[in-house]
Amino acid sequence: MLLVVTYTRAARRDLRNVCRAHEDTVVRQFGRAALLSATEFGAFQALRLREKHGLDVQIERVRPFEPEDVPDRVREAARAYEARETASIPYRQFASGRDLPGADQLRGEEL
Amino acid sequence: MKLRVCGTTYEGRVVDLRCRSVDGATVAAAIRGARPLPAVDAPAPGPVYDYCGRVHPSMGLRTKTALAAAARSMGHETDHDDTIAELRERLADLDGAEPTLPSARESVDDATVAELRESAATARGRLEARERLGAETAEIRAQVRETTRTLAKRETERAAAQQSRQQRRERAREYRDRQARRRRLADRLANCRRDARRELVDAVADDFVAALAAVPGSTPEERPDDPFDAPPVPAALATLRLARTDAPVVLETDRFRSPAAAADWLDAPVVRC
Repeated sequence: MLLVVTYTRAARRDLRNVCRAHEDTVVRQFGRAALLSATEFGAFQALRLREKHGLDVQIERVRPFEPEDVPDRVREAARAYEARETASIPYRQFASGRDLPGADQLRGEEL
Repeated sequence: MKLRVCGTTYEGRVVDLRCRSVDGATVAAAIRGARPLPAVDAPAPGPVYDYCGRVHPSMGLRTKTALAAAARSMGHETDHDDTIAELRERLADLDGAEPTLPSARESVDDATVAELRESAATARGRLEARERLGAETAEIRAQVRETTRTLAKRETERAAAQQSRQQRRERAREYRDRQARRRRLADRLANCRRDARRELVDAVADDFVAALAAVPGSTPEERPDDPFDAPPVPAALATLRLARTDAPVVLETDRFRSPAAAADWLDAPVVRC
């Protein structure tokens, strides 16, 4: 999918107009951003906005995500932390002493 | 004020142009300095004049905005003024110019490079084999040189493309971060100005209501329950009566007995058109 983010009022207005006119190309619309389908038509609409508003329109490619795409230890860490008994314990503290990756370790690893 | 219309010079606090073929919009624009003729010599108009510098039957009026400007002209200040000034300054300091990005380069795909690496390795292998056999190597040597050179070239191109892509993304991101900061500041500024406007309107609301009640020739329909819903002409006149009005006001209304009576009521220099 294509993520289109706008940074000015004018760009945001035009994005909304595009979304209204081409509902079948819009996967989801947010305040000043929208997900367009990964088709040439989606790219065409995104590029039109980019032509008109320059860098005030950001276009990113978004890939579908499934939890299974992520290493086991990350999923387990999330599961264990959300099942914690003390709500106020920070993850850093929670992870130390358990067999879980540290926050800095997670930050250092690209997906 | 001094006003020169079609060869005649008018001077004084009140100028009556009803018998001259010049319309109020033209005179008001000249007073604002938006047009050179008719020539006007008078104090410069303040923000109130943007809303009610010319009072005429088909005008519109954002009463509260105009009244806030009137309150400012009278020297009213608000608790938000320092914040407004600070936010304005910070907003002005944020450079809004879009950066020029390094031009995009055609990327060399991984498959091409892998293929070239393989053929370079093959060529080197063949050269070594021929050397071991003591066979003729000139031709294969040239081939090794050629494939190695092409590989190096493509790898350089690929590195340059990656670097340019990286730079493009970084610069775009910096710019967008700045834009996001601008937007947050602009939102805060708009909120502050709204709060300040409310405070200013509150400060002069009672005087406004009194002035509105004193507008000559006002009918009951012109005095709705909410005084801020009053029609534009009486609302503008009441606003002008409160505001500090050193510049001439252009009037195209028959509410007053005479232009001089209007000038007295408004406490302003008046051009009657």
